[in-house]
Amino acid sequence: MSAAAAALRRLTFSREVVLLGVLIVLMIVMSLLSPLFFTVGNLLNTSRFFVEVGLMALGMTLIIITGGIDLSVGSNLGLSSVALGFSFAAGLPLPLAIVFGLVVGTTAGLFNGLFITLLNLHPLVVTLGTFALFQGLAYGSTGAEAVSDFPDWFAYFGQAYLLNVVPGQLFIFVVAVAVVWAILSRTRFGRYVYAIGNNEEAARFSGVPIRKVKIAIYSGIGLLVGMAAVIYTSRVYTARGDTGLGLELDVISAVVLGGASIYGGSGTIAGTVLGVLIIATLRNGLTLAGVPSTWQLFVLGVLLLVAVFLNEFFRRREE
Amino acid sequence: MTEARAPAEQRGTSSGDAFRRFMVRPEAPALVFLAVLVVAFSLSSDKFLSGSNFESIGISVAVLGIIALAVNQVILCGEIDISTGSMMGLCAVAAGAVALSTGGLILPLLAGVAVGALCGAINGVLVTAGRIPSIIVTLGMLYALRGVILLVTGGTWITGVPEEARVLGTGTVLGVGFPVIILFALFLVMELVSRHSTWGRNVFAVGGNRRAARLAGLPIDRTRFLAFVLVGVFVGIASIIYLGRAGSVQTNTGTGLELQVVAAVVIGGTSISGGRGSSLAALTGAVLIGVILNGLILLGVPGIWQQAVLGALILLAVATDVLRRRFVGDKT
Amino acid sequence: MSLSDDPGAGGAATVAEAPAIFHLRNVTKHFGGVTAVEDVEFDLRPGEVHALVGENGAGKSTLMKMVHGLYPPDEGTLEVGGEAVEFSSPRDAEVAGIAMIPQELDLFPELSVTENLFVGRHRPRTRWGTLDRTAMRSEARERLRSLGVDLDVTSTVKRLSAANQQIVAIARALVGEAKAVVMDEPTASLTEREVQQLFRIISELTSSGVGVVYISHRLDEIFAISDRITVLRDGHHITTALAEELDAEELVRLMVGRPLNELFTRSPHSSGEVALEVRGLSRAGEFEDVDLAVRRGEIVGLSGLVGAGRSEVAQCIFGIHPPEDGEIRVDGEDVRIHSPQAAMERGIFYVPEERRSQGLILPFSIKNNITLSILDRISRFGFVPRAERQTADRFAKDLSIRGAKVSEPVSRLSGGNQQKVVLAKSLAREPSILLLDEPTRGIDVGAKSEIYRLIDDLAKEGKAILLISSELEEVLSMSDRIVVMREGRVTGEFKRGEATQENVMTAATGGRDSSGSDNSREGVGDD
Repeated sequence: MSAAAAALRRLTFSREVVLLGVLIVLMIVMSLLSPLFFTVGNLLNTSRFFVEVGLMALGMTLIIITGGIDLSVGSNLGLSSVALGFSFAAGLPLPLAIVFGLVVGTTAGLFNGLFITLLNLHPLVVTLGTFALFQGLAYGSTGAEAVSDFPDWFAYFGQAYLLNVVPGQLFIFVVAVAVVWAILSRTRFGRYVYAIGNNEEAARFSGVPIRKVKIAIYSGIGLLVGMAAVIYTSRVYTARGDTGLGLELDVISAVVLGGASIYGGSGTIAGTVLGVLIIATLRNGLTLAGVPSTWQLFVLGVLLLVAVFLNEFFRRREE
Repeated sequence: MTEARAPAEQRGTSSGDAFRRFMVRPEAPALVFLAVLVVAFSLSSDKFLSGSNFESIGISVAVLGIIALAVNQVILCGEIDISTGSMMGLCAVAAGAVALSTGGLILPLLAGVAVGALCGAINGVLVTAGRIPSIIVTLGMLYALRGVILLVTGGTWITGVPEEARVLGTGTVLGVGFPVIILFALFLVMELVSRHSTWGRNVFAVGGNRRAARLAGLPIDRTRFLAFVLVGVFVGIASIIYLGRAGSVQTNTGTGLELQVVAAVVIGGTSISGGRGSSLAALTGAVLIGVILNGLILLGVPGIWQQAVLGALILLAVATDVLRRRFVGDKT
Repeated sequence: MSLSDDPGAGGAATVAEAPAIFHLRNVTKHFGGVTAVEDVEFDLRPGEVHALVGENGAGKSTLMKMVHGLYPPDEGTLEVGGEAVEFSSPRDAEVAGIAMIPQELDLFPELSVTENLFVGRHRPRTRWGTLDRTAMRSEARERLRSLGVDLDVTSTVKRLSAANQQIVAIARALVGEAKAVVMDEPTASLTEREVQQLFRIISELTSSGVGVVYISHRLDEIFAISDRITVLRDGHHITTALAEELDAEELVRLMVGRPLNELFTRSPHSSGEVALEVRGLSRAGEFEDVDLAVRRGEIVGLSGLVGAGRSEVAQCIFGIHPPEDGEIRVDGEDVRIHSPQAAMERGIFYVPEERRSQGLILPFSIKNNITLSILDRISRFGFVPRAERQTADRFAKDLSIRGAKVSEPVSRLSGGNQQKVVLAKSLAREPSILLLDEPTRGIDVGAKSEIYRLIDDLAKEGKAILLISSELEEVLSMSDRIVVMREGRVTGEFKRGEATQENVMTAATGGRDSSGSDNSREGVGDD
């Protein structure tokens, strides 16, 4: 087969192209389910939701590439959100409260990273424990209360429009995507991440600083969670202890849908972004069509199973 | 005939050796911790050490403990199941619906168990034939089943479950509540199965050294599949007890239970990596959680801190397991 | 050195005419382009102990893996009990009565002795259909007693000593009604007394008609216990003879006996100062009291058999695991190396033994494999420059890496070229001390000589090289000095010219040592 034909074939069947196709089909289906779907206003508003999931999914991509997992991101979101809101309510100036929220998110991620690397524990169990711990801390320290009297300018993060049309956080997301993509595909850190995910032992023998990289990716997702928390809190204008529950499903599903193997070693930012878009479209479309959120979770759950199964099925076919 | 004397440490003739042998068991740290806690709570609250308090601990622990006994088997063979919370909700819905329409006790029980077994079988098939990691399967099922509950109930609660179906939750025998009796009965059954059945021993082998198990020709897929189905069956049984106690089923029944179950198993001493542990560990862990939560209430700690305590306990349990193994010099 | 007064042999006279338990006839096996075993004949008679000897890579384990059903021979047949068979899995072999006891024992550490004996086998049941544990325990005790051993059958296997675990593995084979038991290096971690015990057990086995294949490098044991000895060399069958017809010297000669061609001629050189020095290095269970020194421009060959602890020493120097005792000195300075990065900072680089699982990241491109070790040096502000490709191209050219462009996955290359990629990765770091672990294993002759030339050039440039190799010819051709290890200790040191195949092999196997030193039989892992 000639080089051009081979290149075309690669393009046609590349994972990202397939996902793009799925996304387009999905959007068509959703617009059939509800006439409200395919309006510029709706599409742009969808992006508000997916920025939060998307930021976390960027970090989760690196973690899953190394063969790990982080189940605590949803709870961490809640924890960072209340850290922001309640420190503000306690008197801290809002800019500092925002920084505090970011710090708490990053520290929570760092805690995960240290526990996993220093004690050599499986990320599954550790993040299962922190899933409960972070949620518990968030809920326990705030009870059923919520903080809502933020100054007007706080809405900027979550509710503003740039150029009168584009939601502000989309800009943040695009920047984040560019940064994480650059890190993963152009820096040595990204190379290390892929090396660890493909063959940790060979990486060790090549001098890759495995512990440092792992601590960095878990802390990194913590920072991204913190950012998502700021945007989320700004968007709904409330800080509550039970925020973020169940988001880990969206995040992990997005990464897996995007083509990352759950066993580690592969995954791309482009794929993850498409995965996030698909999930956001799904959620938005279903909401507009009046489907309750529990049902949506059902669809998401099934989607996750199907995505992982197909991933591994095709991967094994290739071998 | 020549003899190879086993090293002295195994002959356990003195009481010091018996103590060492006890401390080496997987449940030992949890049992000791439990004893310490019971003493501590009794000293700090005079309400702790009463029959009725123990009774209430026992009952709240029953649902958790029964499911933990089964999830214990899944973890022992090297997998995990975090779908049990939604599973229980669905089984309770099934049992409740049958109780409302046909009444009696047996039929609702069978309905709950059947639904549970079916869910467990789906988990099992996806893990073995589908080759999907169990964490993903059960995570997906956790949410999928929750959606099924909504689908089936249409969002409405099931209430007014007739008395006869609630017997296993509210009834007593010789003053001891059914939940506690069933818990202990199932504990004995699991101990028996674990020690005396081929499947029970295979679970340890498959979780302990999967490579050697494969070379020895053990039916690895069948062993794991049955473990998942067992979880479904026990969840079904637990759902009838829950139904008995609560008398109704909400759409969010069982939420969060899966975490408590895994916590119970791990805190009790079963190793998360498989191959090591026991039914006693699962039971101890469940009781320990019940005692801790009960003690916290008695001490006036607000219930909203429960999740945090649970999470901290899980982390503590896995950390001490690692440290204990390093200390003992286990290279496993 | 005589071992014991009870050789434990089953009685060579009765063995001679009995029909074979199994018989490998003219078997050949290839792996990829490499022939592991060619036209080999091997049979095992009831009640005999048949030793299988040869250097590393001679084909012993390949041969026994075929008997044990891991893979079939490409040519030739396997007969069991006189009939040709084809095994599709180890389970088939076990059902046919052939049991294997590998060095790692394949037991279940968390289960009891009794359970280990019965895993995967038919277990006695009670009337109710449950497992009859009392019956299982007493059968376990019976089996152990038939071996002349008395153990607490309820104890957990992981708490038993290595010797007792091995006994459990043997008993497990018996529960499976094995007629043939293959033991691979059974005495590697045993003390002298435990070896005696093992011999008594083997004699119990053979007196009941079971045949034992005894794979070992310990020549004194082989002469003490075996009835017949088969020697393999380079995948070929050299001889099968009665043990009483051979002696140690002749055995060594048969094992190694090629005419000693210089594989490669070293350039004349002079050695500089001591670059790497190691004193008293120890790690429990791996190696003990190791002294080594390598000068600049010198190639020190580290010889010995598999399991001697050589890779462990090198990995310790490279920072994979810290030493528990002893010192490491680089250029005369005491250093503590706690990670591979620290070792690399000191100019040390280790080329691992297992190319595919330790040396390469197979899905990565050739370029990415080569530059993995120097990313921190070539990247600017963390970014990997495009010039990376030129660097990789340069190495590919210098080392004549052929078969694919540097942007293609390294899995496409042949073994020899893959090894060059691993070497390129290590050279990219510009180390001054190179630890090479079996650098030419599994590589064709052409690639081998290229690598020898490369190593020679590196020495000429003044690098200090530690060459770990199990191939005697390679070690003898390449090294300026040879250090021999056996079971974790240094047992011999020879200068170029003094060393011969025989004396190196003797130091490696613990046969009669011309220096008369005490070859202690204590295994390193005892407590």
